[in-house]
Amino acid sequence: MSPEYQPKIIGFLCNWCSYAGADMAGTSRMRYEPNIRIIRVPCSGRVDPILLLKCFQQGSDGVLVSGCHPGDCHYNEGNYHARRKFALLRDFLDYLGIGKERLRIEWCSASEGQRFAEIVSNFTTELAELGPRSGS
Amino acid sequence: MARIGIFLCHCGSNIAGTVNIPEVMGAAKKLPQVVHVEDNKFTCSEPGQASIRQAIIEQRLNRVVIGACSPRMHEVTFRKTVASAGLNPYLLEIANLREHCSWVHTDQPEEATAKALDLIRKAVARVRWQEPLTPRQVGVTKRALVIGGGIAGIQASLDIANAGYEVVLVEREPSIGGRMAQLDKTFPTLDCSACILTPKMTTVGQHPNINLMSYSELEEVSGYIGNFKAKIRKKARYVDVSKCTGCDECTKVCPVTLQSEFDENLGERKAIYIPFPQAIPNKYTIDKRGYPPCRVACPAGVDAQGYIALISQSKFKEALELVRRTMPFAGVCGRVCNHPCQNDCERSTVDEPIAIASLKRFIADYELKSSPEKVSPVPQTKEAKVAIVGSGPAGLACAYDLVKNGYPVAVFEAMPQAGGLLRYGIPEYRLPKSMLDKEIDYIKETGVDIQTSTPVEDVGKLFERGYEAVFLATGAANSQKMNISGEDTPGVMHALDFLQQVNSGTKVKLGKKVGIIGGGNAALDAARVAWRLGAKEISIIYRRSRAEMPAIASEVEGAEREGVKFLFLATPQRVLTKDNRVTGAECIRMELGEPDASGRRRPIPIKGSEFSIRLDNIIFAVGQVVDKDKLPEKLEYTAAGTVSVDPVTLGTSITGVFAGGDVVAGPGGVIESIAVGKEAAISIDRYLCGMDLTTDRPKALKRVEDISKEGVTRQPGVKMPLLGLKQRKGSFAEVELGFDEAAAIAEANRCLNCAVCSECRECEKVCEPDAINHEMQDEVVEEDVGAIVVATGIDVLDHRQVNVYGGGVYPDVISSLQLERMMSAAGPTVGEIVRPSDGTHPKNIVFIGCVGSRDEVTGNGYCAKVCCMYMAKHAIMLKEHDADVHSYILYPNVRGPGGKIFEEFLERAEAIGTTYLRGQIDKVSRRNGKLLVSGQDLLKDKSFDISADLVVLAMGLWPSEGISKLAQTLNISYDAKNYLLQAHPKLRPVETFTDGVFLAGCAIAPTDIPESVAQGGAAAENILKLFSQDFIDAEPMTSIVDTARCSGCQLCLQVCPFKAIEAETLRDGRTIASINETLCKGCGICVTACRPGAIKLRGFSDQQLLAEVMAL
Repeated sequence: MSPEYQPKIIGFLCNWCSYAGADMAGTSRMRYEPNIRIIRVPCSGRVDPILLLKCFQQGSDGVLVSGCHPGDCHYNEGNYHARRKFALLRDFLDYLGIGKERLRIEWCSASEGQRFAEIVSNFTTELAELGPRSGS
Repeated sequence: MARIGIFLCHCGSNIAGTVNIPEVMGAAKKLPQVVHVEDNKFTCSEPGQASIRQAIIEQRLNRVVIGACSPRMHEVTFRKTVASAGLNPYLLEIANLREHCSWVHTDQPEEATAKALDLIRKAVARVRWQEPLTPRQVGVTKRALVIGGGIAGIQASLDIANAGYEVVLVEREPSIGGRMAQLDKTFPTLDCSACILTPKMTTVGQHPNINLMSYSELEEVSGYIGNFKAKIRKKARYVDVSKCTGCDECTKVCPVTLQSEFDENLGERKAIYIPFPQAIPNKYTIDKRGYPPCRVACPAGVDAQGYIALISQSKFKEALELVRRTMPFAGVCGRVCNHPCQNDCERSTVDEPIAIASLKRFIADYELKSSPEKVSPVPQTKEAKVAIVGSGPAGLACAYDLVKNGYPVAVFEAMPQAGGLLRYGIPEYRLPKSMLDKEIDYIKETGVDIQTSTPVEDVGKLFERGYEAVFLATGAANSQKMNISGEDTPGVMHALDFLQQVNSGTKVKLGKKVGIIGGGNAALDAARVAWRLGAKEISIIYRRSRAEMPAIASEVEGAEREGVKFLFLATPQRVLTKDNRVTGAECIRMELGEPDASGRRRPIPIKGSEFSIRLDNIIFAVGQVVDKDKLPEKLEYTAAGTVSVDPVTLGTSITGVFAGGDVVAGPGGVIESIAVGKEAAISIDRYLCGMDLTTDRPKALKRVEDISKEGVTRQPGVKMPLLGLKQRKGSFAEVELGFDEAAAIAEANRCLNCAVCSECRECEKVCEPDAINHEMQDEVVEEDVGAIVVATGIDVLDHRQVNVYGGGVYPDVISSLQLERMMSAAGPTVGEIVRPSDGTHPKNIVFIGCVGSRDEVTGNGYCAKVCCMYMAKHAIMLKEHDADVHSYILYPNVRGPGGKIFEEFLERAEAIGTTYLRGQIDKVSRRNGKLLVSGQDLLKDKSFDISADLVVLAMGLWPSEGISKLAQTLNISYDAKNYLLQAHPKLRPVETFTDGVFLAGCAIAPTDIPESVAQGGAAAENILKLFSQDFIDAEPMTSIVDTARCSGCQLCLQVCPFKAIEAETLRDGRTIASINETLCKGCGICVTACRPGAIKLRGFSDQQLLAEVMAL
């Protein structure tokens, strides 16, 4: 990652799995890149596509949405709604010229602190390699 | 105007050691509407909380931001703090400065400080949009559900029940007791496991507050803390537990034996069983796993596994009775059926299929020989009379079922004797008339009135004579013509006419050379009959190849043995004649093209390949057709010239007239005709009762899925003895001689018992309290409970998978749990330790520790926790049993943690002479009847070879099967190894993230017995705490609809996972969405689905989330 460019990432994490997974990363003293700012939501299904577009409008370089693994949603099916919605939104991001690779959808359970750290680090590296968004 | 106070926690050095708190404070003070900023060493401490209260009051704060640990840690704590200062507890926002910042960025203090400031800024932006919320009060259902009846579940159940609350205890197995019930002794006190467990089990079974649902599984859960609804599937155990006295008479007669799961496959049990003598409830269960392939393949659904099982027990009479529950033709089908059962027999995947048909024939022969008493007619309970036209297998099967159902039935047969093609088509050497007569007599004895030489000219007359329904089963007895020149020459015959003449005793003269045209059973019958009548050269001319022949394979072989020649891929084009006598046939060669409608490849003539053969007689066996002249005029027909019927009901175009068998389907097998007769009987019964003919007809049987071939060795089938060729010539004596008793039993014993219970129904006969009910169905019950305990326990890794240590390779390599069962006085060896291979007492015993534990390659990466201690226990117990035993314990590490004389116990094991050896095992092999354990001694750095009589593997432990599905049902979390996740690993060890759902025992992680008991008690204590309240606060973060903005599109109704949204019609006639707060769980899926933005999720509103985004 180039030292001069630090991508800005906003992460929407569901309360039951991924937010707890991020907590687990902290409790276990994992290391990951400090570029992410985490917003807690009850469920990945609560995340509105407009909210994500707002993130990009505000200058975010990347957005992460992470929920429970398929089948494990605390609300049974919220993550399926999220999966369908954001598959479409990613295509739309390409259309907008932002690039679908800047929106990451991940599943991470409450016990997967290590996995969460890896997701953030990988995403940060990828965004750094992509460079700043054109026009931002 | 918001007045926001910010409180930054140092968390000792946890946050302050990385984040520059003064810098964050300085920046925070400049944030809009922030009127107070302070820091604390520990904000969660009493002084820390006091300073928050003080600031709220003194600074008149109306919003609070705390930068500290994760809200999942202390949100509840700080809400109470804020509330105690008079502020609504939901006007608080926590910035996660520890888990999400300082702890993950310790090496980047500058970045961490910048991030912390961002998180504070985000929280400040959000808290401005926070609204006061008031939790609803909801009632508490003071009943608990405990899932799992091992020691942890038992303890939880007893503690809750003893406190005066009802418990529903759900156990998947037929008995409670779990793993502890399998153990012989417990470490380190060497208590008898059963002695300390069974009193508790009995108390559970008798406790007035415990509703024990064994052999049951949780299917679905809805609701929330204090108000769950649980759907529980009570699996059919086919025994009425309220009647069963546990007398054990049923197991004595059950013919199906299989390996006992409870005894870890070292012992046996029956298909009807209790898992172990002290089981609670002490009630039997029948192990049914679906229907066996043979029975599913049989068009008539004859229970082959059942009668085979009975034959294996020498219960020949009972076996025949079982066949006759379905159909009356054991002796006929045992001989002439094309036995689809046998073609699907699972045994053929091991060696050869069971000779199912021959076994069925055996029981019929056995009865014929033993000249049984006549059966008494079935009492007539119904008035409506039924007429059946035709006494072939379809007609008689239908008549038989209807008579058994209580109907008066008359069968009208045009020929002088009953039986149809069975009598007039099939030659004596295949089906002796004595057997056919016997079975037709049996049908008559049950009450069927058969009127022979009585052709039915007019079906309408039958109705006039008072018959209310008619089944037409007149067959397809006319021979198909080939329509070639010379077909009418004397010396040319058609197979059915030929066979009928021979079967009726008419003399038929044949020349030397006979040609049979066709490849079906009629062609084979004609050929073999011609041979018996003295023809010298017999050729079967068939237009396809051998593979396409529809005849039964054994018939083709039989004909070949009798010298019949086959001319494949040829067909006659004209009959050659001289002086109005046959001299031969002109044939043409064929080749095979694309498959036709029958799936067989279509024969195509090869131009110019004509050739002639010399023949004295030609017998055509190219098919049979329906004789329309003898059927009612009003019937409709198919293009193929058969009677047209409804494929489901078999109803014809005339009301009350049904048809089936060859008259509908064209020539077919006997069993297919019997099956159709049975279907017709169902339709006629429904028709006469005025029921709908189509709905809810019996469904196709479901084939058993997993068929165990555990311990099955290759053993080819018993060969059918045949009549010698010399005796056959000129004789119509039966060719297949049939099994004798010993052969039949030997063959029956090869059966794999695919479906476990064979439904032979012997248990029914001996059960005095009449508790057996083979028709029992699963039952789903719904229970209202306020709290749930999950105590589903643990599974043991299958030692047979560890081939490198000889598991699954050598019988004398066993698992620790198997040794445990052997040691148990109630176990398969009644407490004796023996080598499974030869039953001798082992002297040198090698224990191998950590098999599939602490090793990702062979199993789990984690420690199973109990093995070190139980290996020591085994070594001590074995020495006590037999002083000559020497035990070796091979370990990578030995652990005896804690002060409860664990370490001392290990020392005791060593003191009695156990060899502890820190070793890395290379392999276990066999030498001179003994096992050889080879490896490296890691302490002495040299290799070793230990000769062992018995090797015992301490296997890794896994969460019990199906745990992740159960976790999903309960909405609780589980880790990557499928163990259930605790709300906090240290401070909330038996709680989950889902309020009201608690954990105990090995479902969390491997534990020993006292820990499981303690956790069971702790879960109970949590529940009793809940039950001590009449009302609890419900989460106020639910969704709400802005009535004015709702467009009534109802998309939210579709996406809500909890059906919490309903359409409501307002007084002005508009339909809008309305949210039931009690059902809403606050996921917010509806918010994102709402197009006009009319739905708000309290606590996570668009404004709150947007404010966070805008602040970053």
